[in-house]
Amino acid sequence: MKINSPFVEKVLCAFIKEELSKFHYSKGIIGLSGGLDSSVCAFLAAKALGPKNVLGLILPYRETFSEDVKDARSVARRLGIHLRLIDIAPMVDTYFSRFPTRDKVRIGNKMARERMSILYDFSAREKALILGTSNKTELLIGYGTIHGDMACAINPLGDLYKTQIRELAAYLGVPEKLLAKKPTAGLWPGQTDEGEIGLSYEEVDQILFQLVDSRQTPEAAVATGFARESVEKIVSLIRNSEFKRKMPPIAKISSRTVGHDFLYPYDRNR
Amino acid sequence: MRISLAQVSPRLGDLQKNFELHRYFIQKAKKKKADLIVFPELSLTGYTLMDMVQEVGLNPAEDPLFKRLKALSREIDIILGFVEEKEPGLFYNSAAYLSKGQILHIHRKVFLPTYGMFEEGKFFAPGKNFRPFAASFGKTGLMICRDFLSFGAGYLLFVGGAEVIIIISAAPGRGFSDEGGFATSRMWELMGEALSFFSSSFVVYANRVGFEDGKAFAGGSFVYNPLGHLIAKAPAVDEQMIIADLDLEEVRSARKKWPFKRDDRPELLLQALQRIVHEDED
Repeated sequence: MKINSPFVEKVLCAFIKEELSKFHYSKGIIGLSGGLDSSVCAFLAAKALGPKNVLGLILPYRETFSEDVKDARSVARRLGIHLRLIDIAPMVDTYFSRFPTRDKVRIGNKMARERMSILYDFSAREKALILGTSNKTELLIGYGTIHGDMACAINPLGDLYKTQIRELAAYLGVPEKLLAKKPTAGLWPGQTDEGEIGLSYEEVDQILFQLVDSRQTPEAAVATGFARESVEKIVSLIRNSEFKRKMPPIAKISSRTVGHDFLYPYDRNR
Repeated sequence: MRISLAQVSPRLGDLQKNFELHRYFIQKAKKKKADLIVFPELSLTGYTLMDMVQEVGLNPAEDPLFKRLKALSREIDIILGFVEEKEPGLFYNSAAYLSKGQILHIHRKVFLPTYGMFEEGKFFAPGKNFRPFAASFGKTGLMICRDFLSFGAGYLLFVGGAEVIIIISAAPGRGFSDEGGFATSRMWELMGEALSFFSSSFVVYANRVGFEDGKAFAGGSFVYNPLGHLIAKAPAVDEQMIIADLDLEEVRSARKKWPFKRDDRPELLLQALQRIVHEDED
């Protein structure tokens, strides 16, 4: 599972640069949470595009002076990228004042989609493409909000497990404080990814690596020493989140159909 | 014989832009006094074409763009990759060898990878042959990407008398390695080293770089001499043209030292193969 960080940095920077230039963009935009993934993405983007071509948007709910906001600011300052802070509370509160709920997941998802909506508007406003920050762990276990934090124009981090992102972050010089932070989706105060998933990222990633990269059966993963219930949990998370990794199915009734047999690459004519 | 490998990144589905890319590197190779320039697989069209295969396919005998490419080969030999519409509606992943304004040879990719991230069998018809041909500097065999990973294909070129084996490729990189570069790059070098040594031939591998739909093409183009020594290598990821000087005399000296060619028994292998293939039939 070990990565070669200098090479990974080189490839991902080349990817960001080439993909943007193909679509005639020179600027990238990133939602900065103060967490590790968006910080790593900002480091890569600043290197690939030049700091003046990167805009970090900090989109907190109310707590505009929280530790996370401070961390996001310090990353932006250190890299010299542009920065804007927009409090999403007015939009989110307006909605939930009409449809009140205590369901933390609904509220968290709504916030993630509010952030997405602002990022996309800023993408048009600033003529900048959105760089995604969903990592391989999240994509595989479906730990993300569909059309929320999973939405982006390109995703440089989607083939790196969380623990690999830590390795890359250390190499890139991401501040120690961010490396030590407990990962959180920020759905509600005090939430942590590992608390919610019920396993550490080290465990999750090693199990995923066996199942996905090494194409092992769940039985084989158990045989190498992982707890059966952990493996089964991961297997079921993967199975139940396929819809987050695909375009929605289109009912095929004609002779040639988008997604079925009208098949073109994303980079068509680029 | 001076050979130049253009490790480039074509634009997906844009023939005109890619023609310009070829012309630019051909001029560059001419300035370096190269006798031959090798472009990667599907250099004229890009790789991840999918349904665009039917839109960018051309018949090299009639196509006006190809006519201009042939004209460029008057002063330097050119190997390039393109989608060939050999017969109406039949599309091949092809490599053309252009020389002195003419098409000297066309190889059609035989092994079309269709698994995992690869879908070539869905869009291309498979070629059927591995036939060495006489280039101005010596007998030459062509393969395209996955062809090279079949040791049978390399063997056929060896038996056919190839002294220079040239592979054009669009191989995406996968996995990490300690040395830097992608882990899969080693696979190509391993075959390059083995085939060059055991066939006592030059092996020239021209891969592409750039990204298509997130796939990173691995670059790392190389040349091995007939004793299995690496004599030129391009970096991973970066667009670059590299030059190598091939002394065809080395084929003779390698074959004097290691008589693999002399001792080969293709007729025995043919009989054995026929037995195996017939016995194994369902």
